[in-house]
Amino acid sequence: MMIHLAALEVGKHFYWHIGNLEVHGQVMIVTWIVMAVLVIVSSLATRNLQRIPGGLQNFMEYALEFVQEIAKTGIGEREYRPWLPFVGSFFLFILVSNWLGALIPWKLITLPEGELAAPTSDINTTVALALTVSVLYFWAGISKKGLGYFAKYVQPTPILLPINILEDFTKPLSLSFRLFGNILADELVVGVLVFLVPVFIPLPMMALGLFAGSIQALIFATLAATYIGEALEGHGEEEHGH
Amino acid sequence: MIHPVFLLAAEVTEKSGGLFDFDATLPLMAIQFLLLVAILNSTFFQPLLQTIDSRNDYIRTTNNEAKERLAKAQQLALEYERETAETRKLAQEMILTAQAEATKLKAETIAKAMAEAEARIAQAKAELEQQKAQARAQLAGEVSNLSRQILERLVGTV
Repeated sequence: MMIHLAALEVGKHFYWHIGNLEVHGQVMIVTWIVMAVLVIVSSLATRNLQRIPGGLQNFMEYALEFVQEIAKTGIGEREYRPWLPFVGSFFLFILVSNWLGALIPWKLITLPEGELAAPTSDINTTVALALTVSVLYFWAGISKKGLGYFAKYVQPTPILLPINILEDFTKPLSLSFRLFGNILADELVVGVLVFLVPVFIPLPMMALGLFAGSIQALIFATLAATYIGEALEGHGEEEHGH
Repeated sequence: MIHPVFLLAAEVTEKSGGLFDFDATLPLMAIQFLLLVAILNSTFFQPLLQTIDSRNDYIRTTNNEAKERLAKAQQLALEYERETAETRKLAQEMILTAQAEATKLKAETIAKAMAEAEARIAQAKAELEQQKAQARAQLAGEVSNLSRQILERLVGTV
């Protein structure tokens, strides 16, 4: 039983077939659980809003102000408001994913193949999130400056054009692989330690995993906010502003 | 330990994916995430932001009102202080005037009383002198009378 609990299944997926598309079922299941948790907790918190907050409302207001701070520092006081739901959802979704992945003993639920884990330990999830960030910052830049947004590619000098274009690829790449690598690595380390020494020894690693999980959520949200802020700011206005 | 729901929902294949197995999970996750953003926006961000905003407004207006009231109270206190000071000064003046008047009155009364007393003393003295003179005159008459009688007696017997 212990061996079975500790067995490592890397790169094995629980496939669902929808038409002729393939979907990783284990990712979907945990994603739905994470989203359900978020939606239920936030609905409960905002069901009966009070001027003097208490209990859950107070806690969620704290969470809101935390992500608000992230968005404000990344995007700026004036323009952060429409982007707050995105930045906040990135943070909350990744945080809850990482923590649920680390805290719930998913291995007690056996799937035909693969195993339940944090959705962020699947490359599809992180790439999806990172590409969403890319779409968001393009959208932010184009909705603010129209086609003039693309002028930033030849600023400050056209020589930097290739590097500026390269940046649009490295941004989602680094975002997705950072998150994916951290979470998967933590799960693997904990898995290996549990496999070798089933009691007590993996606990510090698990605690570190929780810490790393929250840090990764913070990093992802902060970078997303920064990229959106950069797209909104632009060079001309930056010089004007300073 | 296989959960029956998962068996119903899924058709399991033997294909092994590997770590970097991209498939329809990716777009589905993106769509799901955007849905989550939409739901959280209406159940979490907007309501809470509105609550926080209205609370901030409430605090600001209440604070301003309180400041106004405080300023008004301070002004009133100043006015009262000024009035009290004025009244005190007035009272002081009144006391001083009354005291001066009383002193004057006292001095006058004393002077009058003394003058009256002196007048009476003088009158009494004058009366006394007059009576003394009268008595002396009477006595003088009586003395001459008596001395004549004494003389007559002496002369007569001799």
